[in-house]
Amino acid sequence: MVEAHETSEHEERDEPGPGRLVARAWTQWVTTVARVVLAGVLFWAGWVKFNEPPALQRQAVEAYELLPSGVAGAVGYGLPVLEMVLALLLVVGFATRFSAVISALLMVVFIAGIASVWARGLNIDCGCFGGGGTVAEGDTKYLQEILRDLGFLALAVWTAVFPPGRLSLDRRLGL
Amino acid sequence: MGKATRERSARERLAEQRRIEAQREKRTRMITVVGGALALILVAVGLVVYINSSKDKSEEYAGKLAPATREADGSIVMAQPGVTAPVLEIYEDFQCPACKNLEDTSGDTIKRLAAEGKAKVVYRPFRLFGQDPLKSNSERAANAALCAPADKWVRFHDEIFDNQPREGSVGFQNDDLIAWGGESGITGAGFENCVKQGEKNTQVASMTEYALNTAKVESTPTVKLDGEVITDAAFSPSDLEKAVASAK
Repeated sequence: MVEAHETSEHEERDEPGPGRLVARAWTQWVTTVARVVLAGVLFWAGWVKFNEPPALQRQAVEAYELLPSGVAGAVGYGLPVLEMVLALLLVVGFATRFSAVISALLMVVFIAGIASVWARGLNIDCGCFGGGGTVAEGDTKYLQEILRDLGFLALAVWTAVFPPGRLSLDRRLGL
Repeated sequence: MGKATRERSARERLAEQRRIEAQREKRTRMITVVGGALALILVAVGLVVYINSSKDKSEEYAGKLAPATREADGSIVMAQPGVTAPVLEIYEDFQCPACKNLEDTSGDTIKRLAAEGKAKVVYRPFRLFGQDPLKSNSERAANAALCAPADKWVRFHDEIFDNQPREGSVGFQNDDLIAWGGESGITGAGFENCVKQGEKNTQVASMTEYALNTAKVESTPTVKLDGEVITDAAFSPSDLEKAVASAK
Protein backbone atom coordinates (compact mmCIF):
# COMPACT_ATOMS: atom_id res chain seq x y z
CA MET A 1 0.00 0.00 0.00
CA VAL A 2 2.68 2.40 1.09
CA GLU A 3 4.85 1.49 -1.84
CA ALA A 4 2.06 1.78 -4.36
CA HIS A 5 1.27 5.23 -3.07
CA GLU A 6 4.88 6.30 -3.25
CA THR A 7 5.55 5.02 -6.72
CA SER A 8 2.48 6.67 -8.11
CA GLU A 9 3.01 10.02 -6.49
CA HIS A 10 6.74 10.53 -6.55
CA GLU A 11 9.00 8.44 -8.76
CA GLU A 12 11.86 10.34 -10.33
CA ARG A 13 9.46 13.00 -11.51
CA ASP A 14 10.41 15.17 -8.54
CA GLU A 15 11.19 18.47 -10.20
CA PRO A 16 14.97 18.80 -10.21
CA GLY A 17 15.35 22.32 -8.87
CA PRO A 18 18.51 24.33 -9.31
CA GLY A 19 21.51 22.61 -7.74
CA ARG A 20 19.39 19.73 -6.61
CA LEU A 21 20.63 16.20 -7.07
CA VAL A 22 18.24 14.21 -9.16
CA ALA A 23 16.78 11.59 -6.87
CA ARG A 24 17.23 8.33 -8.66
CA ALA A 25 15.25 5.34 -7.52
CA TRP A 26 18.26 3.39 -6.36
CA THR A 27 19.73 6.19 -4.25
CA GLN A 28 16.44 6.41 -2.41
CA TRP A 29 16.55 2.70 -1.68
CA VAL A 30 20.15 3.01 -0.47
CA THR A 31 18.96 5.78 1.85
CA THR A 32 16.33 3.45 3.24
CA VAL A 33 18.95 0.80 3.95
CA ALA A 34 21.29 3.40 5.50
CA ARG A 35 18.46 4.68 7.68
CA VAL A 36 17.52 1.25 8.92
CA VAL A 37 21.11 0.18 9.65
CA LEU A 38 21.94 3.45 11.41
CA ALA A 39 18.70 3.31 13.38
CA GLY A 40 19.44 -0.25 14.45
CA VAL A 41 22.92 0.66 15.66
CA LEU A 42 21.75 3.80 17.46
CA PHE A 43 18.86 2.06 19.12
CA TRP A 44 20.99 -0.83 20.29
CA ALA A 45 23.68 1.51 21.63
CA GLY A 46 21.10 3.63 23.40
CA TRP A 47 19.07 0.77 24.81
CA VAL A 48 22.03 -1.04 26.39
CA LYS A 49 23.23 2.14 28.07
CA PHE A 50 19.71 3.18 29.06
CA ASN A 51 19.33 0.00 31.11
CA GLU A 52 22.44 0.61 33.16
CA PRO A 53 22.33 2.40 36.50
CA PRO A 54 22.68 6.19 36.07
CA ALA A 55 26.01 6.21 37.90
CA LEU A 56 27.50 3.93 35.25
CA GLN A 57 26.10 6.09 32.46
CA ARG A 58 27.77 9.06 34.09
CA GLN A 59 31.01 7.18 34.61
CA ALA A 60 31.28 6.15 30.97
CA VAL A 61 31.39 9.85 30.09
CA GLU A 62 33.61 10.85 33.00
CA ALA A 63 36.19 8.32 31.82
CA TYR A 64 36.92 10.58 28.84
CA GLU A 65 38.07 13.28 31.28
CA LEU A 66 36.80 15.98 28.94
CA LEU A 67 33.79 17.41 30.74
CA PRO A 68 33.27 18.80 34.24
CA SER A 69 31.42 16.26 36.39
CA GLY A 70 28.03 18.01 36.40
CA VAL A 71 28.00 18.18 32.62
CA ALA A 72 29.33 14.63 32.27
CA GLY A 73 26.34 13.41 34.28
CA ALA A 74 23.81 15.13 32.05
CA VAL A 75 25.55 13.88 28.91
CA GLY A 76 25.72 10.38 30.34
CA TYR A 77 22.01 10.26 31.15
CA GLY A 78 20.87 12.11 28.03
CA LEU A 79 22.91 10.37 25.35
CA PRO A 80 21.13 6.98 25.45
CA VAL A 81 17.72 8.63 24.99
CA LEU A 82 19.01 10.91 22.26
CA GLU A 83 20.31 7.86 20.42
CA MET A 84 17.04 6.00 20.80
CA VAL A 85 14.92 8.94 19.67
CA LEU A 86 17.16 9.49 16.64
CA ALA A 87 16.83 5.79 15.84
CA LEU A 88 13.07 6.09 15.97
CA LEU A 89 13.02 9.17 13.73
CA LEU A 90 15.38 7.55 11.23
CA VAL A 91 13.56 4.25 11.02
CA VAL A 92 10.21 5.87 10.28
CA GLY A 93 11.85 8.54 8.14
CA PHE A 94 10.46 11.54 9.98
CA ALA A 95 12.48 14.78 9.65
CA THR A 96 15.01 12.53 7.95
CA ARG A 97 17.60 15.09 6.89
CA PHE A 98 17.48 16.79 10.27
CA SER A 99 17.85 13.47 12.14
CA ALA A 100 20.65 12.36 9.84
CA VAL A 101 22.54 15.62 10.37
CA ILE A 102 22.24 15.28 14.16
CA SER A 103 23.39 11.65 13.92
CA ALA A 104 26.35 12.67 11.79
CA LEU A 105 27.33 15.38 14.28
CA LEU A 106 27.02 12.84 17.06
CA MET A 107 29.39 10.49 15.26
CA VAL A 108 31.86 13.33 14.73
CA VAL A 109 31.75 14.06 18.47
CA PHE A 110 32.27 10.35 19.28
CA ILE A 111 35.22 10.09 16.91
CA ALA A 112 36.78 13.26 18.29
CA GLY A 113 36.28 12.01 21.85
CA ILE A 114 37.92 8.67 21.18
CA ALA A 115 40.77 10.29 19.26
CA SER A 116 41.36 12.70 22.12
CA VAL A 117 41.45 9.87 24.67
CA TRP A 118 43.83 7.94 22.45
CA ALA A 119 46.11 10.97 22.05
CA ARG A 120 46.19 11.54 25.80
CA GLY A 121 47.16 7.92 26.43
CA LEU A 122 44.19 7.05 28.62
CA ASN A 123 43.07 3.42 28.77
CA ILE A 124 39.31 3.32 28.49
CA ASP A 125 36.54 1.48 26.78
CA CYS A 126 34.62 3.92 24.59
CA GLY A 127 31.41 2.91 26.32
CA CYS A 128 29.69 3.13 22.97
CA PHE A 129 27.48 0.13 23.60
CA GLY A 130 27.29 0.30 27.36
CA GLY A 131 30.06 -0.43 29.78
CA GLY A 132 32.91 2.00 29.56
CA GLY A 133 35.44 3.09 32.08
CA THR A 134 38.99 1.94 32.48
CA VAL A 135 40.39 -1.15 30.82
CA ALA A 136 43.78 -2.77 31.13
CA GLU A 137 46.54 -1.34 28.97
CA GLY A 138 46.63 -3.13 25.65
CA ASP A 139 42.90 -3.83 25.83
CA THR A 140 41.97 -0.55 24.20
CA LYS A 141 40.34 -0.71 20.79
CA TYR A 142 40.54 2.90 19.69
CA LEU A 143 41.31 2.25 16.04
CA GLN A 144 38.44 -0.23 15.61
CA GLU A 145 36.09 2.10 17.48
CA ILE A 146 37.01 5.05 15.27
CA LEU A 147 36.75 3.06 12.04
CA ARG A 148 33.38 1.70 13.11
CA ASP A 149 32.10 5.19 13.89
CA LEU A 150 33.44 6.44 10.53
CA GLY A 151 31.27 3.78 8.89
CA PHE A 152 28.22 5.03 10.80
CA LEU A 153 29.17 8.60 9.92
CA ALA A 154 29.15 7.64 6.24
CA LEU A 155 25.63 6.22 6.59
CA ALA A 156 24.44 9.40 8.31
CA VAL A 157 26.03 11.63 5.69
CA TRP A 158 24.48 9.62 2.86
CA THR A 159 21.06 9.92 4.48
CA ALA A 160 21.52 13.66 4.98
CA VAL A 161 22.49 14.12 1.33
CA PHE A 162 19.80 11.87 -0.18
CA PRO A 163 16.80 12.08 2.13
CA PRO A 164 14.26 10.79 2.84
CA GLY A 165 14.47 7.38 1.13
CA ARG A 166 11.69 4.94 0.38
CA LEU A 167 9.22 3.89 3.06
CA SER A 168 9.42 7.15 4.96
CA LEU A 169 6.91 9.36 6.69
CA ASP A 170 8.51 12.40 5.11
CA ARG A 171 7.58 11.03 1.68
CA ARG A 172 3.99 10.46 2.77
CA LEU A 173 3.90 14.01 4.02
CA GLY A 174 5.13 15.16 0.62
CA LEU A 175 8.46 16.48 1.82
CA MET B 1 -2.46 41.81 -27.11
CA GLY B 2 -5.04 39.33 -28.28
CA LYS B 3 -7.63 37.82 -26.06
CA ALA B 4 -6.06 34.38 -26.25
CA THR B 5 -2.67 35.71 -25.16
CA ARG B 6 -4.19 37.57 -22.22
CA GLU B 7 -5.98 34.45 -21.09
CA ARG B 8 -2.83 32.40 -21.37
CA SER B 9 -0.79 34.84 -19.35
CA ALA B 10 -3.56 34.97 -16.73
CA ARG B 11 -3.48 31.20 -16.57
CA GLU B 12 0.28 31.26 -16.26
CA ARG B 13 0.11 33.82 -13.49
CA LEU B 14 -2.40 31.67 -11.68
CA ALA B 15 -0.24 28.61 -12.10
CA GLU B 16 2.78 30.55 -10.90
CA GLN B 17 0.87 31.69 -7.86
CA ARG B 18 -0.27 28.16 -7.10
CA ARG B 19 3.27 26.94 -7.37
CA ILE B 20 4.51 29.57 -4.95
CA GLU B 21 1.73 28.71 -2.55
CA ALA B 22 2.51 25.02 -2.80
CA GLN B 23 6.16 25.76 -2.09
CA ARG B 24 5.27 27.93 0.85
CA GLU B 25 3.00 25.24 2.19
CA LYS B 26 5.72 22.65 1.76
CA ARG B 27 8.13 24.84 3.66
CA THR B 28 5.65 25.24 6.50
CA ARG B 29 5.19 21.49 6.62
CA MET B 30 8.95 20.99 6.66
CA ILE B 31 9.37 23.43 9.52
CA THR B 32 6.56 21.74 11.43
CA VAL B 33 8.12 18.32 10.94
CA VAL B 34 11.61 19.41 11.98
CA GLY B 35 10.14 21.36 14.88
CA GLY B 36 8.21 18.28 15.94
CA ALA B 37 11.30 16.11 15.77
CA LEU B 38 13.32 18.65 17.74
CA ALA B 39 10.61 18.95 20.36
CA LEU B 40 10.44 15.17 20.70
CA ILE B 41 14.21 14.99 21.20
CA LEU B 42 14.28 17.82 23.73
CA VAL B 43 11.35 16.54 25.77
CA ALA B 44 12.57 12.92 25.86
CA VAL B 45 16.16 13.83 26.68
CA GLY B 46 15.18 16.48 29.22
CA LEU B 47 12.81 14.14 31.01
CA VAL B 48 15.31 11.28 31.28
CA VAL B 49 18.14 13.57 32.35
CA TYR B 50 15.89 14.97 35.04
CA ILE B 51 14.77 11.55 36.29
CA ASN B 52 18.25 10.05 36.21
CA SER B 53 19.92 12.92 37.97
CA SER B 54 17.49 12.47 40.82
CA LYS B 55 18.08 8.70 40.84
CA ASP B 56 21.84 9.14 40.74
CA LYS B 57 21.94 10.60 44.24
CA SER B 58 24.26 9.38 46.88
CA GLU B 59 23.59 9.53 50.56
CA GLU B 60 25.90 10.92 53.19
CA TYR B 61 26.41 8.57 56.07
CA ALA B 62 28.24 10.17 58.95
CA GLY B 63 27.13 7.75 61.64
CA LYS B 64 29.19 5.24 63.53
CA LEU B 65 30.76 2.50 61.44
CA ALA B 66 30.31 -1.18 62.13
CA PRO B 67 33.45 -2.69 63.67
CA ALA B 68 36.09 -3.76 61.17
CA THR B 69 38.42 -6.72 61.53
CA ARG B 70 41.10 -8.18 59.30
CA GLU B 71 40.93 -11.78 58.17
CA ALA B 72 44.00 -13.93 57.69
CA ASP B 73 43.74 -13.51 53.90
CA GLY B 74 44.02 -9.72 54.25
CA SER B 75 40.39 -8.91 53.58
CA ILE B 76 38.61 -6.46 55.86
CA VAL B 77 35.29 -7.47 57.36
CA MET B 78 32.99 -4.64 58.40
CA ALA B 79 29.95 -5.98 60.23
CA GLN B 80 28.03 -5.75 63.45
CA PRO B 81 28.85 -8.58 65.86
CA GLY B 82 26.87 -11.69 65.02
CA VAL B 83 25.92 -10.56 61.52
CA THR B 84 27.08 -13.26 59.12
CA ALA B 85 24.74 -12.80 56.17
CA PRO B 86 24.18 -11.61 53.56
CA VAL B 87 27.81 -11.21 52.55
CA LEU B 88 28.57 -8.17 50.43
CA GLU B 89 32.04 -8.47 48.91
CA ILE B 90 33.75 -5.53 47.26
CA TYR B 91 36.67 -6.25 44.97
CA GLU B 92 38.46 -3.04 44.12
CA ASP B 93 41.72 -1.52 43.03
CA PHE B 94 42.66 1.80 44.65
CA GLN B 95 43.86 3.13 41.29
CA CYS B 96 40.72 2.23 39.38
CA PRO B 97 38.51 5.26 38.57
CA ALA B 98 35.37 3.14 38.37
CA CYS B 99 36.08 1.91 41.91
CA LYS B 100 36.37 5.49 43.09
CA ASN B 101 33.07 6.15 41.35
CA LEU B 102 31.49 3.20 43.16
CA GLU B 103 32.78 4.53 46.48
CA ASP B 104 31.51 8.03 45.70
CA THR B 105 28.14 6.69 44.62
CA SER B 106 27.42 3.88 47.05
CA GLY B 107 30.25 3.91 49.60
CA ASP B 108 28.17 5.53 52.31
CA THR B 109 25.20 3.28 51.64
CA ILE B 110 27.48 0.27 52.06
CA LYS B 111 28.75 1.65 55.37
CA ARG B 112 25.22 2.30 56.60
CA LEU B 113 24.02 -1.19 55.62
CA ALA B 114 26.88 -2.67 57.64
CA ALA B 115 26.23 -0.33 60.57
CA GLU B 116 22.54 -1.23 60.61
CA GLY B 117 23.44 -4.91 60.71
CA LYS B 118 21.85 -5.51 57.33
CA ALA B 119 24.95 -6.96 55.71
CA LYS B 120 28.39 -8.34 56.38
CA VAL B 121 30.66 -6.24 54.20
CA VAL B 122 33.98 -7.69 53.04
CA TYR B 123 36.48 -5.39 51.35
CA ARG B 124 38.89 -7.22 49.07
CA PRO B 125 41.29 -4.69 47.61
CA PHE B 126 43.82 -6.08 45.15
CA ARG B 127 46.05 -5.01 42.30
CA LEU B 128 44.28 -5.29 38.97
CA PHE B 129 46.63 -3.12 36.98
CA GLY B 130 49.61 -4.82 35.43
CA GLN B 131 51.56 -1.96 33.85
CA ASP B 132 53.28 1.08 35.19
CA PRO B 133 52.60 3.68 36.39
CA LEU B 134 49.22 2.24 37.35
CA LYS B 135 50.69 -1.00 38.63
CA SER B 136 53.05 0.63 41.12
CA ASN B 137 50.46 3.19 42.23
CA SER B 138 48.04 0.40 42.82
CA GLU B 139 50.54 -1.75 44.64
CA ARG B 140 51.76 1.00 46.98
CA ALA B 141 48.18 1.83 47.94
CA ALA B 142 47.20 -1.79 48.49
CA ASN B 143 50.33 -2.38 50.57
CA ALA B 144 49.67 0.72 52.69
CA ALA B 145 46.09 -0.38 53.28
CA LEU B 146 47.34 -3.72 54.57
CA CYS B 147 49.75 -1.87 56.86
CA ALA B 148 46.84 0.03 58.43
CA PRO B 149 45.21 -1.37 61.56
CA ALA B 150 41.74 -2.80 60.89
CA ASP B 151 39.87 -0.39 63.16
CA LYS B 152 41.13 2.62 61.19
CA TRP B 153 41.15 0.89 57.84
CA VAL B 154 37.81 2.05 56.43
CA ARG B 155 38.59 5.75 56.88
CA PHE B 156 42.06 5.25 55.43
CA HIS B 157 40.56 3.40 52.47
CA ASP B 158 38.25 6.40 51.86
CA GLU B 159 41.19 8.76 52.15
CA ILE B 160 43.15 6.79 49.54
CA PHE B 161 40.24 6.87 47.09
CA ASP B 162 39.73 10.59 47.69
CA ASN B 163 43.32 11.16 46.60
CA GLN B 164 43.34 8.87 43.59
CA PRO B 165 45.86 10.12 41.01
CA ARG B 166 44.72 10.79 37.50
CA GLU B 167 45.14 7.87 35.20
CA GLY B 168 48.52 7.59 33.62
CA SER B 169 50.31 9.70 36.21
CA VAL B 170 52.48 8.57 39.08
CA GLY B 171 50.78 8.94 42.43
CA PHE B 172 50.13 7.22 45.76
CA GLN B 173 53.67 8.03 46.87
CA ASN B 174 54.62 6.41 50.16
CA ASP B 175 55.03 9.76 51.92
CA ASP B 176 51.55 10.79 50.82
CA LEU B 177 50.10 7.48 51.93
CA ILE B 178 51.71 7.93 55.34
CA ALA B 179 50.29 11.46 55.57
CA TRP B 180 46.78 10.27 54.67
CA GLY B 181 47.22 7.53 57.26
CA GLY B 182 47.90 10.28 59.79
CA GLU B 183 44.67 12.00 58.83
CA SER B 184 42.85 8.73 59.44
CA GLY B 185 44.45 8.44 62.86
CA ILE B 186 47.18 5.98 61.94
CA THR B 187 50.62 6.88 63.25
CA GLY B 188 53.81 5.24 64.41
CA ALA B 189 57.08 3.96 63.03
CA GLY B 190 55.61 0.51 62.48
CA PHE B 191 53.09 1.82 59.96
CA GLU B 192 55.62 4.10 58.27
CA ASN B 193 58.17 1.35 57.82
CA CYS B 194 55.57 -1.07 56.62
CA VAL B 195 54.48 1.42 53.95
CA LYS B 196 58.00 2.41 52.92
CA GLN B 197 59.40 -1.10 52.80
CA GLY B 198 56.41 -2.53 50.98
CA GLU B 199 56.20 -5.11 53.76
CA LYS B 200 52.81 -6.39 52.64
CA ASN B 201 53.54 -6.70 48.94
CA THR B 202 53.50 -10.49 49.16
CA GLN B 203 50.06 -10.43 50.66
CA VAL B 204 48.91 -7.96 47.97
CA ALA B 205 50.06 -10.54 45.44
CA SER B 206 48.16 -13.34 47.13
CA MET B 207 45.01 -11.21 47.38
CA THR B 208 45.35 -10.44 43.68
CA GLU B 209 45.78 -14.12 42.95
CA TYR B 210 42.66 -14.88 44.99
CA ALA B 211 40.56 -12.20 43.26
CA LEU B 212 41.58 -13.10 39.72
CA ASN B 213 41.87 -16.87 39.93
CA THR B 214 39.66 -18.02 42.78
CA ALA B 215 36.91 -15.40 42.76
CA LYS B 216 37.18 -15.03 38.95
CA VAL B 217 37.00 -11.25 39.10
CA GLU B 218 37.54 -9.87 35.62
CA SER B 219 37.24 -6.16 36.18
CA THR B 220 37.04 -3.69 38.99
CA PRO B 221 34.99 -2.91 40.82
CA THR B 222 33.22 -6.22 41.23
CA VAL B 223 30.56 -6.42 43.91
CA LYS B 224 29.22 -9.78 44.98
CA LEU B 225 26.24 -10.47 47.16
CA ASP B 226 26.41 -13.97 48.60
CA GLY B 227 28.72 -14.87 45.74
CA GLU B 228 26.52 -13.46 43.01
CA VAL B 229 27.84 -10.54 40.96
CA ILE B 230 25.66 -7.45 41.46
CA THR B 231 28.10 -4.78 40.31
CA ASP B 232 25.61 -2.88 38.15
CA ALA B 233 23.03 -2.71 40.92
CA ALA B 234 25.73 -1.58 43.34
CA PHE B 235 26.10 1.61 41.31
CA SER B 236 22.61 2.59 42.36
CA PRO B 237 22.33 3.06 46.13
CA SER B 238 18.62 2.22 46.11
CA ASP B 239 19.08 -0.91 43.97
CA LEU B 240 21.91 -2.01 46.21
CA GLU B 241 19.77 -1.59 49.28
CA LYS B 242 16.94 -3.57 47.68
CA ALA B 243 19.29 -6.37 46.65
CA VAL B 244 20.67 -6.63 50.16
CA ALA B 245 17.19 -6.57 51.69
CA SER B 246 15.93 -9.36 49.44
CA ALA B 247 19.03 -11.49 50.01
CA LYS B 248 18.36 -11.71 53.69
